[in-house]
Amino acid sequence: MKKIETSLATLKNDLASFYNPAEHHFMVMNAVEMGEKMEVQWFFCDYAHPCETTCFFTLIERGEEVPSIKDIVDSAWVAEAELVDLMNINVENTAKGFVLEPDFESGPLLKKK
Amino acid sequence: MGKQYEIPVGAQHISLLEPLHFRFTTENEKIVKTDANVFYVHRGIEQACCSKFKFRQVSFVVGRVCGLCSISHTTAYSQVAEKLLKIEIPRRAKYLRMLVIELDRIHSHLLCLSHVAENSGFEALFMKTMQYREFSMELLEAVCGNRIQYDFSIVGGVTRDLKPEVADMILKRLDHFMPQLEELIGIYKNNWTLSLKNKGVGRISKEDAMRLNVVGPFARAAGLAVDVRNETEDLLPWKEVGYEMITDTAGDVHARNMVRLREIEVSIRIIRNVIAGLPESDLVTETKAFPEGEATVRLEAPRGELFYYAKGNKTQVLERLKIKAPTFSNVAGMVHAFTNNEYASAPAIIASYDPCLSCTAR
Amino acid sequence: MNTFFSAIGNLFKEPVTTKYPFEPTYKPDDYRGLIGFEESLCIWCRRCELACPPGAIVFSQDMEGKQTYHYNRAVCIYCGECVRACPKEGALFQTAEPAPCALKEENINNGWNQLFDEALDSREKFAAEKKRKAAEKAAADKAAAAAKKAAEEQAGTNNETSAG
Repeated sequence: MKKIETSLATLKNDLASFYNPAEHHFMVMNAVEMGEKMEVQWFFCDYAHPCETTCFFTLIERGEEVPSIKDIVDSAWVAEAELVDLMNINVENTAKGFVLEPDFESGPLLKKK
Repeated sequence: MGKQYEIPVGAQHISLLEPLHFRFTTENEKIVKTDANVFYVHRGIEQACCSKFKFRQVSFVVGRVCGLCSISHTTAYSQVAEKLLKIEIPRRAKYLRMLVIELDRIHSHLLCLSHVAENSGFEALFMKTMQYREFSMELLEAVCGNRIQYDFSIVGGVTRDLKPEVADMILKRLDHFMPQLEELIGIYKNNWTLSLKNKGVGRISKEDAMRLNVVGPFARAAGLAVDVRNETEDLLPWKEVGYEMITDTAGDVHARNMVRLREIEVSIRIIRNVIAGLPESDLVTETKAFPEGEATVRLEAPRGELFYYAKGNKTQVLERLKIKAPTFSNVAGMVHAFTNNEYASAPAIIASYDPCLSCTAR
Repeated sequence: MNTFFSAIGNLFKEPVTTKYPFEPTYKPDDYRGLIGFEESLCIWCRRCELACPPGAIVFSQDMEGKQTYHYNRAVCIYCGECVRACPKEGALFQTAEPAPCALKEENINNGWNQLFDEALDSREKFAAEKKRKAAEKAAADKAAAAAKKAAEEQAGTNNETSAG
């Protein structure tokens, strides 16, 4: 797995220069709690053999808004909607209520304090 | 523009096996827009795996994510845990894992095909496919001791060995199944009634499949050659046992049926090669280490690419476990492929996606 | 057309399903069934309890320290992890016998939860009792040692005084 650090400001530029639909496919987004902060990850994988998994990651504060990559990767709305519901991350232009019911308490996967 | 109607399908519907909700916007009979909701079966498995269960027990928990591709989940988790523990498993264990994954693929694909036939209105073919599927369930029971929930892979290897009489039984049953598979291919390929409901229906182009990151037989039927078995060899040696990529170009329901049927042939070949070339070694690599660091694993489940991410913190309980099921990747493509089809075709299209919502919502 | 004729032909064929209550269904010899326990061989290490994913095995302990094995077939997932964890061959084993259905009288879920908590409680009590006894014994030993020392010192001073 190749890990590339990025930041919220440069994320979209980094992804736009990296992502080529004919070469890579977007797999999923993930978030890991790192104490007070959270690490948000974007996973891509190559089509070609031997394939390599590429992970873009950045550390965010809780409640900070993450830019949406929907205009770069067309299918990213599913992964973004999942993170909004399950990890209570604030993603640009994404409402809750896809993986959980809209009136459910957000963030069931967060560690219990 | 004609008058638009909104028709909900699901969460409970006779043609849906799983609690999935679609809202179709139709103009007369034509679907112009689709919304999907998957929020009915979230079970908090990832949270349970990172809090309640120890890392060795998690391989049994993730087996319960999905009933049909139970072995894919257990194997993918075992592999990611082995990466965190930095151990290499015995060769025999790798071969046995491939054997059970392929047996599982046969039964999962036949189940999907039978549901496509049923939802296309061909009940007799549904019965026939289910009848022929029974042998794979019995073989899985003979190998793993259970018809579903195989609990076959554990961290470090596999739980049971393949007995010589079971190997003979597998080969014999496969020989018996070959003419039946030919018969099924004939029916699915040439039957005129089925072709009316399947050909040119639920079409997705290769460009769209690529753009929407579709995986599994859904993508391969559109001509997008994506198969984890083709891409990685470090964890399971697929190429050694005769793996071959199957693709089609049409991208419709019929093409998906054909890809699944021909993949069953490949699976049968892999199973025969695995049994013929089963290496002699231990079944489990023992270790007293604790998981540490981060790792990812991809594995080809019957429905497509399965992805596991795990992070360990040198304790018995994992820090984070992320499961990405194949259907999750396909949601965007699924919603797209309904457009410009007739509403009456929707059940057959849904069945041909082979959706597994329990995996998606976890 | 072929399909049509084969469909007509199927009308005159035997059913393909197993006539289940009248003839047995297929079951392999090493079917994953109930977990058996041989008390005389058990070394009471509780490794099976630690390994069990769903928590279907628990040991309770009475005040003398004697442990009892409890097993719930309705919670068990028949994975055999306990058998692999067992260090003593033959103490735990997997039979090919499928689990019988649970009856209402057995109260298999709530009864088990209660039993599980009680078993953990009984072990805690035993551990506390053991600790208390050990502390008591240590205190007694200490007191005895102190008394002995005091007696020795006393004896020493007595000797001194007697000598002086």
